[in-house]
Amino acid sequence: MNSTQTPYVTFRCGDSLFGIDIGCVQEINRCLSLTSIPLAPPFVRGVANLRGDVVTMLDLRILMEQPRVESNIHQRSLILHSDGETFGLWVDSVSDIVEIDSDDIVSPPSNIEPSVARLVLGVYSHDSRLILLLDPDALFATTVSLER
Amino acid sequence: MFQDEELIQEFTVESRAHLASLESLLLEIEGAGDDFDMELVNTVFRAVHSVKGAAGFLGFTAINSLAHSLENVLNLVRNRKLRPTPEIVNLLLNASDQLRDLVENVKDSNQRDIGAWVEELDAISLEEPQREIAFTPINVSQSPAEPTDSKVVRSQDGRVEQPSVQVRSKPSDTSIRVHVAVLDQLMNLAGELVLSRNQLLSAVAAKEREGLEAIAGRVDLVTSELQETIMQTRMQPIGVVFGRFPRVVRDLSRKLGKQCNLVIEGDDVEVDKTIVEALGDPLTHLVRNSVDHGIEMPECREQHGKAAEGQVRLRAFHQAGKVCIRIEDDGGGIDPARLKTKAVEKGIIDTETAFSMSDTEALRLIFAPGFSTASQITDVSGRGVGMDVVRTNIEQLGGTVDVESVLGSGTAIHITLPLTLAIVPSMIVACSGERYAIPQANIAELVRVTPADRELRIGNLHGAEVLRLRGTLLPLIRLRNALGFESTTGSNPRQGHSNILVIETGQLRYAIEVDAIHDNEEIVVKPLGKHIRDLGYVAGATILGDGYVALILDLVGIALHCNLRAVDMQDRTSGSESVVNEEVHRMLFFKNHPMEAFAVPMAMVARIERIRREEVKTVGDQHILVYRGHSLPILRVEQHLRAMPPCEPSEFEYVIVFRVQDREVGLIAPVLGDIRDIHMRIDSTTLREPGVLGSLVVDGETTRVLDLVELVRIKHPTWGVEYQARQSESRTTPPTVMLAEDSDFFRSHVTRTLESEGFRVISASDGMDAWERMQSVFQEIDVLITDIEMPRMNGLELAQAIRSSPSTASLPIIALTSLASDEDRKRGSRVGINEYQVKMDPNTLVEAVRRLSGAIS
Repeated sequence: MNSTQTPYVTFRCGDSLFGIDIGCVQEINRCLSLTSIPLAPPFVRGVANLRGDVVTMLDLRILMEQPRVESNIHQRSLILHSDGETFGLWVDSVSDIVEIDSDDIVSPPSNIEPSVARLVLGVYSHDSRLILLLDPDALFATTVSLER
Repeated sequence: MFQDEELIQEFTVESRAHLASLESLLLEIEGAGDDFDMELVNTVFRAVHSVKGAAGFLGFTAINSLAHSLENVLNLVRNRKLRPTPEIVNLLLNASDQLRDLVENVKDSNQRDIGAWVEELDAISLEEPQREIAFTPINVSQSPAEPTDSKVVRSQDGRVEQPSVQVRSKPSDTSIRVHVAVLDQLMNLAGELVLSRNQLLSAVAAKEREGLEAIAGRVDLVTSELQETIMQTRMQPIGVVFGRFPRVVRDLSRKLGKQCNLVIEGDDVEVDKTIVEALGDPLTHLVRNSVDHGIEMPECREQHGKAAEGQVRLRAFHQAGKVCIRIEDDGGGIDPARLKTKAVEKGIIDTETAFSMSDTEALRLIFAPGFSTASQITDVSGRGVGMDVVRTNIEQLGGTVDVESVLGSGTAIHITLPLTLAIVPSMIVACSGERYAIPQANIAELVRVTPADRELRIGNLHGAEVLRLRGTLLPLIRLRNALGFESTTGSNPRQGHSNILVIETGQLRYAIEVDAIHDNEEIVVKPLGKHIRDLGYVAGATILGDGYVALILDLVGIALHCNLRAVDMQDRTSGSESVVNEEVHRMLFFKNHPMEAFAVPMAMVARIERIRREEVKTVGDQHILVYRGHSLPILRVEQHLRAMPPCEPSEFEYVIVFRVQDREVGLIAPVLGDIRDIHMRIDSTTLREPGVLGSLVVDGETTRVLDLVELVRIKHPTWGVEYQARQSESRTTPPTVMLAEDSDFFRSHVTRTLESEGFRVISASDGMDAWERMQSVFQEIDVLITDIEMPRMNGLELAQAIRSSPSTASLPIIALTSLASDEDRKRGSRVGINEYQVKMDPNTLVEAVRRLSGAIS
């Protein structure tokens, strides 16, 4: 059996640890100054100027059905690509980069919230902590369809 | 079939260029008749030949064989074996259209059936020896070349039907041709920028402050130049669009049996690529309209003494940083009266509106949705695309369209467009801590309402807020509410002034209140992400000077969001109940000291003269200007009122000349302002002093309105007495005037004026009041002066009541109103008003009262 090691960026949101394939991440930024968007869906935290492009920032806390927090210095934004568009994911803080073997990824347990389960590729157990691995395309697609 | 994408792309671009010139060349050949320029034919031949060659090489057989057949026919013309008659040229044109169509859809061109075209062309080239001698147009009229109904003919023949032109439906090009010189300049600028960056980095590293400023200046310069040059690469000559019109005009005039000549000017004017692409459809419609509806039939033209050949002029030119396009024809023009009738029939406007509409406004009816001028819908112009679509298209580009027409001599459509769409001059406003951009093109004006004025200017109609603006009511939207922010408290939450923008977007006109108005900025439009693209109220985003993102507001979207319907947007004229008292007056503004603004009613102003300061002489305590052989008494504001003198006397000054009684007087106005129509909502207490009627706030500035009659009376108290003495020689008992006027200000002003002339005045607060009082005292009344707009009973109703009652039927009636158009006069005379007086010219009013009361013999 061939197994492949892929680096994942891990980050915190609320009490949970999440991970995203580093290949999907364009860059990680410190708090960009956001412009809020009135009447936008709640998970849209705002838009930011990313070197001349206007990028929508999604708030992972809202997507994970956790209370919104005010901006602080630990927060980071992950810049991701999906469906030809660049968007940002606003997270509480960024942790390590972890090499994950694809064989070690298990499917999410069935008692996980369906709204969260849709965004999760799988679960990985790392030093007794569980990491929820997110699917960037699902993040993007789900949020667009949620809005409709 | 494997093909190198790039090669195909190149082939398409090149062939397109070859074929583009074909049309105009063929038309030129046709125009020249038998003595056509052989060089033109050679050029056409070479173009087709190049396309054929390249297509053969790339394996596009359909293109190759059509080009080949076309080439054969052209060869005959070249060898003078075939005359380029209109019919032949027609066929060539249509075949080249077909060829272009194939080139545009090059990938599946081989699947297209072009057999019919090849046959048609080959038929000519093969049977040519006979045809050269016995050419009959009948032969060809059945050919697919006939432009009018070629599709029908072909399908009847059972041949494959193919639309002749598909070019327009293709998506806009994703590549663009740029001049090498522009590219070189871009390279230079990029180099400069890199250099500046290096300097900047080293300056920052070395922490030296001095060098930074110079580098910043350099970066500033290079960046703006870079931006300009990049914009240049997007510019294309408008001739790209204009090029298709000679053919359009030719085909259409042939079809309609008209003679028409198209003159194109300014096809080298450059505009943004996106605009060039989007202009095609609206312009085609307008040009077709000019030929179809504008130019008359040749016989008709000759009857009217015009040349049989009509002319359509298509002009592009730059004006005030914008691109203007004019489509002019010397045809029959548009009859505004007919438009009005049509519009009423179609229910677009009501009779009342039609009645009060000026000719210019009536002409603009052609842009109203659902309006088509042709009494019969022709298949030429009435294809469901009306002028309203044209207007919408142009407005989407940020432009405007207007029409001018002189009945009998022609029509001109005037289009104004921005040079580019990528940079939008905008106003940056603030709301709830965020900044937003509003395109300037949508802003009609800015209104600042002070707390004192708020009650007056902002009204509430059944919960809907309205802004009163010069006699009209505009729906007022608070941006804060529209964007879903909680409004703080009550309806007037803030203590300071309100910043209001008057928005105009096509048919919508409304007012929007924002927290603050910052500055003008030229913004670059950036697209928004999927999540927020369709929010409705945003048109995009931009990055402001400080790096923050600001949303660009979509003002149509906001109106829809707030449920403003087009119907609400129409200006309410001053006739409605709610705006009684909001009468519009034309005032002349001027400043004496820069901090002090004054206004005089235009009705009082005879003329304005520009004089040299030293021309005013002082004689005793009088200032006199000698001109036109008379000496004109001069008044200065600061000498008679509590006012500051002008700070810096300039060489020239203006003199407002007005008549009081039978004399002319001049008032010095050092700095002239605008002449504007404003509401006469005068505060007649705060700043009242002899010579000042009161004050009003205009653009946030307190302006004192002068009472010129009183001013003269202060300076020359004896004039009035002398004048009355002169007048009283001719009269016995003073006439009694009844005055019906609802505005307290005007009532007291007119009463004062009349009483100073020796009249007795009975005043009434509205029409009903006047009517009731009149019942008891009508025998005493010599003349009635009435306002038109009044609550309870207006002036027209009052006049009607008076005329229908036998006891009062003969009473002279003077209407005193702020608006006296011809229509108003007609309406007034119908109900028996003897005379119209515009508010407020005391001299003519007094004279009219005298005349009508019989006080002057």
